[in-house]
Amino acid sequence: MDDRELIGRVLAGDPSAERALYDAHVGRVFRLAYRMAGDLDRTQDYVQETFIRAFQRLGEFRGESALSTWLCSIAISITLNGLRKTRRFREREVALDDAPAVGTTAREAEPDLKDRLSRAIDALPEGYRTVFVMHEVEGYTHEEIAEVLGVQPGTSKAQLFRARARLRVALADFARD
Amino acid sequence: MSQQDEERLDQLLRSLAQDYHLPPEPPREEMWKAIQTSRRWYRRPWARPRNPLVWVAAAAAVLIVGVGIGRMSVTNDLPPGSVNWEARGVRTAAYRLTAIEHLSQSEAFLTLFRASAQGGSDERLASATARQLLASNRLLLDSPAAHDRRIRLLLEDLELVLAEIAQLSPQPREKDLELIKEGIERGGVLPRLRTAVPAGTSSTQGVL
Repeated sequence: MDDRELIGRVLAGDPSAERALYDAHVGRVFRLAYRMAGDLDRTQDYVQETFIRAFQRLGEFRGESALSTWLCSIAISITLNGLRKTRRFREREVALDDAPAVGTTAREAEPDLKDRLSRAIDALPEGYRTVFVMHEVEGYTHEEIAEVLGVQPGTSKAQLFRARARLRVALADFARD
Repeated sequence: MSQQDEERLDQLLRSLAQDYHLPPEPPREEMWKAIQTSRRWYRRPWARPRNPLVWVAAAAAVLIVGVGIGRMSVTNDLPPGSVNWEARGVRTAAYRLTAIEHLSQSEAFLTLFRASAQGGSDERLASATARQLLASNRLLLDSPAAHDRRIRLLLEDLELVLAEIAQLSPQPREKDLELIKEGIERGGVLPRLRTAVPAGTSSTQGVL
């Protein structure tokens, strides 16, 4: 069953089509949200919210992009906004300073190479990190990233270029060894 | 750095980055259940009327009631037209903004609380924050912001969860934390908070 047929059935109120749509796309949406959030609870929230919103707005989907791209753009918007909101709240509430960092996972004080890279990716500006994760980690093309983020493919390439440059600096001393 | 070094580093980056926030297997059934719970809630006729005519009728009714209240509030010693409609609009908008801000803060708090509860956070501080939010919640329940049935129900459900967190002892039992987490999930409180305050919506553009 193709996306158009599936959407038609969902809009007609077929519950099995809703489940089929969810099953077809949840893996990809979950992976992307988890890569950005790095935390299972938050990722679950973001993924659930993505599908709730997608089902509510499915009638507005015009088919100009693939359904998976449309879902990913909802997911990335929800995830980034969720991470921003949580970060802002943490900054305001010193009370919760002990909570895990937003979009990061707890790590040892003396990181090995992977940990160092993880920290460097966490520290990237949001735009760089998003493009880096989507392109280098999840394998999206610049055209897909552009559609999901609503930017030009050139912008995506530029962000990736800058992200790589920053990460190279973070790993430079390892490369010399 | 030479071109060769850069290429080596890029290769290294790509290969190491595969482990960045390596996703576990998605909890498909659990998430599907939560999605269905939330969708069922919004499908209830009083929660979200589907027929646009219902909205039109509701808007008309609100308009009539508003005009009626406005007329009744004009005292005889004031000339016609002296009711400060602008001030009324500002008051309504102020309640709406306050509600959006409160719901947004509550959502961020519950998200953090749920995540930090697993790692053993400072419950006294969480409890203090919950008490602050609870106070705002109760004020909002008594304000015009709660005239919207959907918001009122959300504030009522939120009140229960905040009250539970506010009452947490400094060394809570794991069972207490589990019950609170269940409370958050049972009523789909977080998804409903997120729907009431759409991601990316600034305070002045709420859709309450």
